[in-house]
Amino acid sequence: MISVNGLSVSLGGRRVLMDVSFALGAGEFAALTGPNGAGKSTALKALAGVAAVEAGRIEIGGAPAASMNALARARQVAWLAQARPVAWNLRVEDVVSLGRFAEAPAAYDRMGKEGRAAVDGALAKADAAHLAGRAFQALSGGEQARVHLARLLASPAPCLLLDEPCAALDIAHQLSLMETLAAEAASGRAVLVVLHDLELAARFCQRVLVMDAGRLVADGAPGEALSGEVLGRVFGVQRSAERQLIRGPR
Amino acid sequence: MSRLTLILGLISAALFAVSALAGTAPVSLGESLAALAGQGDAATRTILWEIRLPRAAAAFAVGAALGLAGAGLQGLLQNPLAEPGVLGVSAFSALGAVIAIFFGLAAVCSLAVPVAAILGAGVATVLLGAAAMRGAGSVTLLLIGIGLSSFAGALMSLALNLAPNPYSLADLVNWMMGSVVNRSWADIVLAAPALAIGAALVLASGPGLRALSLGDETAASLGADPKRTRLLVIGGTSLLAGASVATAGTIGFVGIVAPHVMRPFVGHDPQRLLVPSALFAGIVLLVADIAIRVLPFQQELKLGVAAALVGGPVFIWIAARMGRLLS
Repeated sequence: MISVNGLSVSLGGRRVLMDVSFALGAGEFAALTGPNGAGKSTALKALAGVAAVEAGRIEIGGAPAASMNALARARQVAWLAQARPVAWNLRVEDVVSLGRFAEAPAAYDRMGKEGRAAVDGALAKADAAHLAGRAFQALSGGEQARVHLARLLASPAPCLLLDEPCAALDIAHQLSLMETLAAEAASGRAVLVVLHDLELAARFCQRVLVMDAGRLVADGAPGEALSGEVLGRVFGVQRSAERQLIRGPR
Repeated sequence: MSRLTLILGLISAALFAVSALAGTAPVSLGESLAALAGQGDAATRTILWEIRLPRAAAAFAVGAALGLAGAGLQGLLQNPLAEPGVLGVSAFSALGAVIAIFFGLAAVCSLAVPVAAILGAGVATVLLGAAAMRGAGSVTLLLIGIGLSSFAGALMSLALNLAPNPYSLADLVNWMMGSVVNRSWADIVLAAPALAIGAALVLASGPGLRALSLGDETAASLGADPKRTRLLVIGGTSLLAGASVATAGTIGFVGIVAPHVMRPFVGHDPQRLLVPSALFAGIVLLVADIAIRVLPFQQELKLGVAAALVGGPVFIWIAARMGRLLS
């Protein structure tokens, strides 16, 4: 679905991604993790087409991303940013309907039957159906996060990229988010999610990618990518006798 | 067409009729109605068709242009205080018109005034757009607007000083205070193309404005083109503000009040806000123009003054409310 080859990105004159290569197939549910500043968000931005690629090659659905315009790319990739500003006090369903902008840039009440059904379905999947009709800025942080998730799910794009979608979610909603994303992957989408919660990543994702200082340093099944060696070297933690993560020698 | 648009359209039509009937000339209701239908004596027909109706059309068109420009600029700058008047766009536009008039360009070509007014508006809008793109916040933009307004005022005085054929101060006052008195159909026809193109550009930016609500990066990832949206709004509002200033001088605050009043009715959606804001602002200026004709003042109140008398306090109220929300 998506393949990245030798990707390098600089921000403000500083190299933040160096020679990153990986491929993500349809139906895969992968977590991208690493310490703060490792380049996870930048990697997602480069895939979403909002960070300039300095070197390397991204292919989406078999076509080089560099040759795609914004609309064609949006039909392939949906991205949930880490920062999610909403400038006006929009209605919840209008925020979600923006997820289908590439299909038809209409507000909810001007959408066709199919579009509305997709928005309604996405709101239900994100446990936000009851928020329809509400004003966005009157929602709590967690409710806003679920509406943004619904916006992402409303898109028919075969590849979903999520940057820390668990932030602001309570534990029950974190678990239900991961179940929802697993179901999306099972239905054939490629899902890549930036997570800081290693337990959550290991439990739900078949594959974990670990980044450190702009490089991809581990890529594999959770047990392998989050081995004791990687935990110590990259995250500076280790497993205690009770299998808990504790701070350890770096 | 939404129900809101329909209602506003019907109100506008009714007010046009009222505007045709209201005035200081001693014409009875029956005579007016007959003249509207093309009957009655020639003098009454002239009063209605050549004085009152073009004046009403000018007031509505200028109001609608300012309302649409205000809604577009607010959507683009994501700031409910944005408006051509407040941001100095109208002042720069008036500067362009004044230069065209006082340096004799208007005598050479009748299009000189609207074109100069549109260019003036364009200069200010591009400056504001550049500041907004560099991440200028509400306060910075408003400060730039204040700066642009006073600078345009100073340049206008300078233009007067340097002008080879200085007119009276009263002409300048007309440009700075705004009026639709004595507007003819010819004035409206002259402004119509710029108004139509400007409106089309701003309306075309609508979906992009809604996408921009989620920020530039997310909007781009959704398939929107933030740069194109910016160009559409900047070009469109320059045409709208320029053409309305060329028609009626600077009229402030209408462009701020209309979007503010309409926003709750459209779910705060910057796209669905555009048309109702235009209609509502047109209605506001129609009502204001009828009011100043009927009010028993010795000298007729200027339309821009009437608009500011109502709009100024509303602007302060919005600003104060925003301050509370932000603090």
